[in-house]
Amino acid sequence: MSETQTEAPPRNWKYWTEPEFVEIDGLRTAYRRKGSGEPLVFLHGWLHGVALTRSWLPLYDELAKSYDVIVAEHPGFGDTPMPETLHSFSDYVLHYDAFLRELGIDTPHIVGHSFGGWIAADFAIFYPDRVASLSLIAPMGMRVIDDPQTDPFRQMPDNLAVMLFGKEPDKYKDYVEQEGDVEQVVSQYKESIAFARLTWNPRYDLRHDHRLARVTAPTLVIHPADDRYLPRSHSERYAELISDARLEVIEGKDGEEASHLVIAQQPAEVAALVAAHANR
Amino acid sequence: MSTQFHLFNYGSYPEVPHADTLGDKTVYVDLPNRYGDPVKSHWYLDSYFDSLEFGEKLGFDGILTTTQFGGPVGLTPTAMLGAAYLAGRTTRIRIGAIGPVLGAYSSPMRAAEEIALLDQLTNGRLIIGLPMGHGQNHHAMGVINPTYTRERYWEAHAVVRKAFDEEGPFHWQGKHFQIPNANLWPRPVQKGGPEVWIPGAGSRITLEKCAEFGYTWQALFSPRKALMKQVSVFHEEAAKHGYKPKPDQIAVVLFIHVAESDAQAHKEADAHLMSLMQNMNRAQLHDAFAPGHFSPETVRGFMTGGGYRSKDISKMTVEDVAEEGWGIIGSPATVREKIEEIIADLGAGKIIHVADFGAMPNWMMRKSLTLMAEQVIPHFRDKGAKPIWAIEEPVAPQTHAEYGAYYEEPEPEAVPQARLHDGTGVVDVRTAHVDDLRIQLRP
Repeated sequence: MSETQTEAPPRNWKYWTEPEFVEIDGLRTAYRRKGSGEPLVFLHGWLHGVALTRSWLPLYDELAKSYDVIVAEHPGFGDTPMPETLHSFSDYVLHYDAFLRELGIDTPHIVGHSFGGWIAADFAIFYPDRVASLSLIAPMGMRVIDDPQTDPFRQMPDNLAVMLFGKEPDKYKDYVEQEGDVEQVVSQYKESIAFARLTWNPRYDLRHDHRLARVTAPTLVIHPADDRYLPRSHSERYAELISDARLEVIEGKDGEEASHLVIAQQPAEVAALVAAHANR
Repeated sequence: MSTQFHLFNYGSYPEVPHADTLGDKTVYVDLPNRYGDPVKSHWYLDSYFDSLEFGEKLGFDGILTTTQFGGPVGLTPTAMLGAAYLAGRTTRIRIGAIGPVLGAYSSPMRAAEEIALLDQLTNGRLIIGLPMGHGQNHHAMGVINPTYTRERYWEAHAVVRKAFDEEGPFHWQGKHFQIPNANLWPRPVQKGGPEVWIPGAGSRITLEKCAEFGYTWQALFSPRKALMKQVSVFHEEAAKHGYKPKPDQIAVVLFIHVAESDAQAHKEADAHLMSLMQNMNRAQLHDAFAPGHFSPETVRGFMTGGGYRSKDISKMTVEDVAEEGWGIIGSPATVREKIEEIIADLGAGKIIHVADFGAMPNWMMRKSLTLMAEQVIPHFRDKGAKPIWAIEEPVAPQTHAEYGAYYEEPEPEAVPQARLHDGTGVVDVRTAHVDDLRIQLRP
């Protein structure tokens, strides 16, 4: 480590829980697991200025009421280091294949949010028989001409919060604040590197247009009605291209919009939709 | 040894709103180009090249062109075309293309070819800068993933180096490039290619490579203390290769404006300098720190140990700029004194003189540059104050007579040949039009 390494600040933020670690092809992979029932793997997203790793979120607790919920930190995120060999989504697919084998999980339900939705879709393309059900929440990864996703790399800090959380971003400080200061900036910058490695250019996978026909699992695409980050057309396109898929638009409630981070705004509702789909 | 003076201008399109009022737009990436009137753009470019051409008459050692993409910061998206144009407008002065952003080329051989051609066009007057590019460049180029920029850049550098130093064709089998037949034509007229400068904002690898290859390290705007530390790292790295860096391996960028008195100089230049700092030099953090453009350790270092800018560049006053040693505004005596200080602190042997501050009118800049040339530069030169290009000979012959002398030695390996279909066989075409000299080389 560099000589400027500072002592790590305590991890006492609200959603912090201690992870477990498992060695996957030489990579010390961090994950959290809770609940009982059929296994459900949740693939997290990454959004600038938001802390979706190094935590156990309320949505996971909701899901853990009926499932054995496993949330790993992707290579390059949270406490899982970025290997030099990470170049594409297929590296994530191979990693998750090995991860699931290591945990003895054969055919889990798979849920992915945002960037994690793109990983989930790719996993289902490569291993269609290993997905009990697929739930994609505002998934990235489609090209929609004339209706592109907002630039994830160039948002002014003031716009960012509203873009992701809607008009009352202050309610979601617990999804933003971790240790603060230098170490949180560095942690966020590290994750941005893994995210950019896979999504900088192009910011979609054109091959999805023909490959998504390979997905056989029953699929639910959940789209937040007021998402300002990812247009509805992207979720619609996923639902159109996967044969056994339907789109569910989740509306705002109590006068609040349903934003890209609907997983923070309406964890119980999102969990209920996922559970109803996975149980069908 | 004389200190070298190189003239650099931004060549900005200055008629843009103040950056404070741009909301989420930035001059580096997405300021709508409707602000850039095409006819006025021509005029600003004309003025930009006019001021650089004037550098030769003034007696600067070199004039430098720059690459600025996708915004009004500079109207020259490639330093190479500007350098080629100036090559035709000047005769002897050194021309620095600072420089091609290697990552913007799909193959480093394309860059090597352009550099070699430019070296030929200038008859060896070329200096080449190899900037890695700003973080913010990635948002507009659509070519490089910033998480690969650094390794891709150094691999491209290795390809260019090999093309200049070794015979081709060769087969390059790298991580980012695979080139089955890398074969450089023309070869640069300067043996081993032009002198190389690399701009650095504080990365250790830049210093390592400059030391390894004997390049000029071009110190970009960092706090003076950080610069001094970087210079000492440069010395450490050079020692590993068994030498002490020559002063002309360290180039310092300075905003300079000279007038009749200190007060007059400030009256003329202060507003222009502030305009530059508040608008053209201003990048958003998320743009400058594009993911992977720096390593996480470097970011931590910037945040904890300084090294990066200690102050938001757009909040700096003229005094702050002077304090950091980035700018000198004053009478000829003041400018001489400050340059001496900076040279002493950094051991620098090259000054990159930024004269236009983005928006200074040509006539005002010419007054400052004339005072600089007549009353400051001679102070830093040997007797007679000749620029370096007036001392050194051009590389290739300038006249038929000199060419004739060169041609005889050494004996050419091949002559232009053709097989004639009249039974003569293969002849030397240079003399085939003369009956007596239409000699068969082979049947």
